[in-house]
Amino acid sequence: MELVVCIKQVPMVSELPWDPATGTLKRELAEGMMNPACRHALEAALQLKARQGGRITAVTMGPPMAEEVLRQALALGADEGLLLSDPAMAGADTFITSRILAKAVKQCRPDFDLILCGCYTSDSETAQVGPQLAEELDLPSAAFVEEIDMKKNRLIVSRFSDGFIETLEMKLPGLVTVSTQCYTPRYFSLAGIEAAFPDGAPIRTVRAGDLGLDPESIGVHASPTRILKVYAAGADKENIVLRGAPKQIVDHLLNRFGDRIGGAMGKDIKKNRN
Amino acid sequence: MSDINPCMKHQVVRKAVREFAEAEIGPIAHDVDRDARFPWEVVEKMRPLNFFGLQTPKEYGGADLDTISYAIVIEEISRISAAVGLCLTVHNSVGIYPIVRFGTREQKQRFLPGLASGERIGGFCLTEANAGSDAGGVETHAIKDGDSYILNGTKIFVSNGGVCTTPLIFATVNPIDVRKGFSVFIVEKETPGFSVGEIEDLCGMRANPVSSLFFEDCRVPAVNLLGRPGEGLKIGLNALDTGRLGIAAQALGIAQAAFETSVKFARERHQFGQPIAANQTIQNYLADMATEIAAARLLLYRGCALKDEGKPFSAEAAMAKLYCSGLAMRVCTTAVQIHGGYGYSKEYDVERYFRDAKVTEIYEGTSEIQRMVIARSVLSAPA
Repeated sequence: MELVVCIKQVPMVSELPWDPATGTLKRELAEGMMNPACRHALEAALQLKARQGGRITAVTMGPPMAEEVLRQALALGADEGLLLSDPAMAGADTFITSRILAKAVKQCRPDFDLILCGCYTSDSETAQVGPQLAEELDLPSAAFVEEIDMKKNRLIVSRFSDGFIETLEMKLPGLVTVSTQCYTPRYFSLAGIEAAFPDGAPIRTVRAGDLGLDPESIGVHASPTRILKVYAAGADKENIVLRGAPKQIVDHLLNRFGDRIGGAMGKDIKKNRN
Repeated sequence: MSDINPCMKHQVVRKAVREFAEAEIGPIAHDVDRDARFPWEVVEKMRPLNFFGLQTPKEYGGADLDTISYAIVIEEISRISAAVGLCLTVHNSVGIYPIVRFGTREQKQRFLPGLASGERIGGFCLTEANAGSDAGGVETHAIKDGDSYILNGTKIFVSNGGVCTTPLIFATVNPIDVRKGFSVFIVEKETPGFSVGEIEDLCGMRANPVSSLFFEDCRVPAVNLLGRPGEGLKIGLNALDTGRLGIAAQALGIAQAAFETSVKFARERHQFGQPIAANQTIQNYLADMATEIAAARLLLYRGCALKDEGKPFSAEAAMAKLYCSGLAMRVCTTAVQIHGGYGYSKEYDVERYFRDAKVTEIYEGTSEIQRMVIARSVLSAPA
């Protein structure tokens, strides 16, 4: 199988320098890391490759330092890396980003079977690039998948949706975005890291010109999105005391939170009661 | 590849090890110290990730890392648990390195794959009741008998003692002239006559099973002799040069942990209506800690880089060990002070760092011995 995994380098959460006055991230000050959901997507690809054989190409778009996430992908078991890096690409929104990714995949990996993306990034959380990339390439796609399998050249994917598990069949080539609820990423092995850093490591840098892209059509100026405000999602805590007989309390608890508890456990707990 | 500046590979190594250590060792680091328990479950997880073959050549199943990467691994593990860091540095440097450097092809093929995979755990047994800094006082002897040596003696304060299965034992083959006959043997735990003493009740590094090892008419095949008879001192000093880089990295990891927890505490702890970090005295403490840690790291990397370049690094390793261990004590003492009463409580990790730091000034050559090594190098330079 020819697998392509799209990976984004994001600021490390613990070191996120945040300017509350302007509501912006000081990205240039932060240490980079592989976006967690992308690492789950890579893990899904590694497990697919282990079962089906094939090759994994990791693709990232970003500044030269984003090469680090490609090296990390190689260390984890990807076969090659593609770094889409050009000052003209800076500031691209999700629309332009997916357009550039589409162009790169078509040109560098035209024979791909499946593209895997993380379900969203930890720094902007739009969850748009994967589905937009599928549109650009006119591919069938499924977002937030939790399980991926192959059956007679068709992809079988499952995902948790509105409290039930949905199983879909998909033609290839196709695209999935992988949820963070499954495919727990493996740790880096030190031999893997050592192997990802030879002088001739299979990492290729691709510029806008290599893809035949007009610089005017791809950067921040070409991006239709305008960001008005960025803010950290808040989480409020509330203490709730349930009173009454134990059975009433349990009923009350399950009526009110059964869906969420079941969701966390991955099964319908209401169905199995009594 | 060796580079004083942190290159991309070193960043990736640091992030990878930090992620593992924080997730897998962090939650138990306090408890294994309290219970003086060796965390086998962590060892199990470290094995497939090559933590036991850090610098072992690839052909024997190791990761073949450069020495700066090695130091980063030890620092990051020790930042979370110095006792686990101790297990790794003893195993990888003084336990394995002498076999890589001085072993025959047959010895490497026999012992390295098991050690590099972590199935076997290494150790380094020099110290005895009457020998430590002075290796000439070693009383353990190995008498040739056919194609074996009969080993008798007792080793004390063996790091990894309770768990090592393929330690290196220093013994003399010439009890009349100890130095002349000073030699090293690779001894497997299964050998009859090999036994392990009680685990020592020590001040720090409590999750590492430091113990005595006893050898009673222990028959070791002559093919397990590392190097030639009489080469023990040369092998031992070589092993300690590289081991000192590991201990320096370990001390640096302890200092880094104490520093980070101090910064966090100084921001959170309020007195007189403001965080104590607003006090210039606390700021000066933190500034000095940060500066000294940064300096220590560069000193350590210089020793590592020299080793990778194949240049002499003995004095530089001694400087790194001397400075990093002293730094760990200074930083931990200040860190306890910043924490006040909490720093003196076992509920806070900084108390553990403080206890763990002290021994870095003692083992693998005391600070006094390091100064001796450095002074010799200084005075032997052309006038």
